[in-house]
Amino acid sequence: MPTLETEVLVVGGGSTGAGVARDAAMRGFETTLVERGDLATGTTGRFHGLLHSGGRYAVKDPVAARECVVENAILRRTAADCIEDTGGLFVSTRWDDPGFGDDFLQGCRATGVPVEEVPVVEALRQEPRLDPGITRAFAVPDASLDPWKLVSACARSATEHGARILPYHRVLGLDLHGGKVVGARVHNELDGEELDIRADVVINASGAWAGQIAKLAGCEVTVLPGKGIMIAMNHRLVNTVVNRCKPPSDGDIIVPIRTVSVIGTTDVRVADPDELEVTQAEIDEMLDEGEKLVPGFREARALRVWAGARPLYTPDEVADTRDVSRTHTVLDHAKRDGVGGFITITGGKTTTYRLMAEHVVDAACEQLGVERPCATAEEPLPGSEDERFYWLGSRVRAQEPVPGSEEIICECELITREQLTAAIARRRPTSLDDIRRTVRLGMGPCQGGFCIYRATGILHAFDRLDHRAANSALVEFLEERWKGVQPILHGDQLRQARLDDWIFQGLLSVQHLPR
Amino acid sequence: MKDAGPRAASYDTVVIGAGLAGLTAALRLAEEGQRVAVLAKGVGATHLAPATIDVLGYVDGPVDSPAQALPEFTAANPEHPYRRLPVELVRAGLDWFKARLEEHGYRGGLDENFLVPTAVGVAKPTALVPETMAAGDLRKGGRFVFVGLRGLKDFFPAYLADNLARAALPGDASVTTRIVELGPPLGDARDVSTAGFARRFEQAEFRESVAGELGRRLMPGEIVGFPAVLGLRHAREVWQELETRLRHPVFEVPTLPPSVPGIRVFETMTAALRRQGARLVVGSTVAGAESSGDRLEGVVTETAGRPLTYRARSFVLATGGFASGGLELDSTGKIRETVFDLPVAGIPGPKRPLFETDYFDEHAISRAGVAIDEKMRPVNGKNGAVYENLHAVGASLGGAVPWREASGNGLSLASGYAAASAILEGQQ
Repeated sequence: MPTLETEVLVVGGGSTGAGVARDAAMRGFETTLVERGDLATGTTGRFHGLLHSGGRYAVKDPVAARECVVENAILRRTAADCIEDTGGLFVSTRWDDPGFGDDFLQGCRATGVPVEEVPVVEALRQEPRLDPGITRAFAVPDASLDPWKLVSACARSATEHGARILPYHRVLGLDLHGGKVVGARVHNELDGEELDIRADVVINASGAWAGQIAKLAGCEVTVLPGKGIMIAMNHRLVNTVVNRCKPPSDGDIIVPIRTVSVIGTTDVRVADPDELEVTQAEIDEMLDEGEKLVPGFREARALRVWAGARPLYTPDEVADTRDVSRTHTVLDHAKRDGVGGFITITGGKTTTYRLMAEHVVDAACEQLGVERPCATAEEPLPGSEDERFYWLGSRVRAQEPVPGSEEIICECELITREQLTAAIARRRPTSLDDIRRTVRLGMGPCQGGFCIYRATGILHAFDRLDHRAANSALVEFLEERWKGVQPILHGDQLRQARLDDWIFQGLLSVQHLPR
Repeated sequence: MKDAGPRAASYDTVVIGAGLAGLTAALRLAEEGQRVAVLAKGVGATHLAPATIDVLGYVDGPVDSPAQALPEFTAANPEHPYRRLPVELVRAGLDWFKARLEEHGYRGGLDENFLVPTAVGVAKPTALVPETMAAGDLRKGGRFVFVGLRGLKDFFPAYLADNLARAALPGDASVTTRIVELGPPLGDARDVSTAGFARRFEQAEFRESVAGELGRRLMPGEIVGFPAVLGLRHAREVWQELETRLRHPVFEVPTLPPSVPGIRVFETMTAALRRQGARLVVGSTVAGAESSGDRLEGVVTETAGRPLTYRARSFVLATGGFASGGLELDSTGKIRETVFDLPVAGIPGPKRPLFETDYFDEHAISRAGVAIDEKMRPVNGKNGAVYENLHAVGASLGGAVPWREASGNGLSLASGYAAASAILEGQQ
């Protein structure tokens, strides 16, 4: 079995794991990250994309709120290219107690969340689709955060600092020697090879899966996966993050991100983070709550629904996962369980991914008996050096000077042939879904109806991919897409789906392709 | 304006929808001397479909002969619209279509399916193909060259060729494939649509450049496949000239919408309609109906200014299915026919899902649509026709899964033809 040696081994390729790998590599540790799937395909790639101001936690969870305040400001400086500075509003609708606004203001002031009550007419001028019946509105520095860009930038930075990033490597077992974790046995999910990784310290950054990984070292960690569903709507129904001004509840936020807006979410305790069913009742609840913020929401065009699993860590039994703090926890298993070389980081949220990484790498330094300061609060991520925020018109601006001068492969998301080819060359994927996350291929209104045939052709031409592999890439993309599209198909989006059926099953007859 | 009331116009037949089914019914009636109006929200599915006439391509496996397969198919699928369309009627429809679109030189018929390559290299069965696609018939095998055009993002010859070389073909037919990629003169343009290429192919210089570069790279006996962009209004001349210059058989492969061959069919049929004196109103949405008892008297369109009523003796609903907006599903799961709120058949019971969780499974919603009687009239369950003078055609009909069966254009053509026959008989 091939063997690889490293100082720090990170398990998990979400925002936390990628952040840990970057932090550790920047502190001069030889670092390796393993992730069972593609990067940012667990919880990170399945959230609504909110960069918290802290407002959501100001009343109920002041520790989490304060962390958000600090990290929001840091990410605005260091991860600007992944952020759209939409601003945020908390609004009291006709269904909400206007008195909660006072608690909210007080909570924000106590935790340092920058807040300002704005006149309702002002809020309606800013967001004309909001229900005119709202009674109060508060402005906070919420923003939207592109999770794929963030993780990809962290991974790139980590690599620049010498880290090895290994997606599609699943941990089969952790090796213990003399009461200490000394490495891991991992399985390359693409070629089926096994690999032995020797490490001085293993950091378990697998979030909602942290209990499963900890068990491999004989440690008991109770993570309650909290299921949240989200629906992407085809338009920027709002251009500001809009929250309901009331205690956290289902369907209380709409986040405008890239070309869509996302409504979320629910919080249901589930047994297994890999089994996240979306029910019709949950979908109806989202649409009904959306209707309260934006009248007409129910019949607006819904693109896709998905569910993610929050990693909620608690040392105690709780009835409702909403009562578990959103802050994070570092578990040094040497102190806790007498198992050396092994540290778990769990809980938390993408907004505080950097702080989580800092804390757990500090713990690793302590275990290894070294002192190396963290620099991630100052050093910008690659692409964010100029501290300029991403904005919705960026891709149009890039192509505006000479229309027709570049081949646009995905018209919905304005992806050029050059960008697509560069992404393929960089990632060497066999899955179009990996490319989807990298460049937002097929994420727009037609959900790949036009670009996926083109992308398959380009992928096939690249290195002359075997025709069966190309066929599988195409067919698997369609199957995967259907899972997210099918539960919310109605109205114009069903019309679109039928057009796509005509293209793929009628015109092209992909169902008869050899695989 | 002296009249403040609604404006009205009278016709023998009003057709709603301008896809293949609506245009077929309208043209046939106009030819028989009827005063016909076609009201359409926009252009129809002709601009999406490849312009081959697929009558029945797949039942379990590929179908060799639709004429032979249809009787057994309709017996096994009693709710299928072909049940109302006897084989001889389908045949008559195909013959009528071939004659009316003479300049497209449609080949084939009901007795044998062609096998032509799709843009991903699947050998697909179809009954009629325009002459520009006929040399792509794979049934006897051959040595095929597929031509890529730089600047066209809707055609990937290498992917097509790799799949097609391994396609299962009947008997001992064998196919070899290779590709030639050309850099046609596009000036500064880097991203040219299928229609943009079609217009360029109508320019002699462009054709010369393509044929010149390609001719040097062909080997004797090869059959040359282009993406379906060989001209819009003068496709026959473009295709013939390429064959003559190259001295090789040339054919087109349909690719992503908008479909150039489909646009040609639309242009030919609408021009013929105008020659017959029919009225074609594109951009008018039917928003209401007037009826007395079981007769439909008129339909009301939304136009600029005020509503306009079209009265007629007969009406044809040709608004298509979910893809065209003829049927709609709302967020509460309710399906409706969008013009007359006709009863929709084929909806599964409340406990059964409209969609399966696997994309390639058959979804119950696919067969939802209007049910018809022997005169092609929408019916309300067993209670007979909803209106005695309303007929329904094409993809608004329930009971079929056209893209899986490869039956879409065949159903549209045959049902449009049959509705015209029913109207002519009824109005005598």
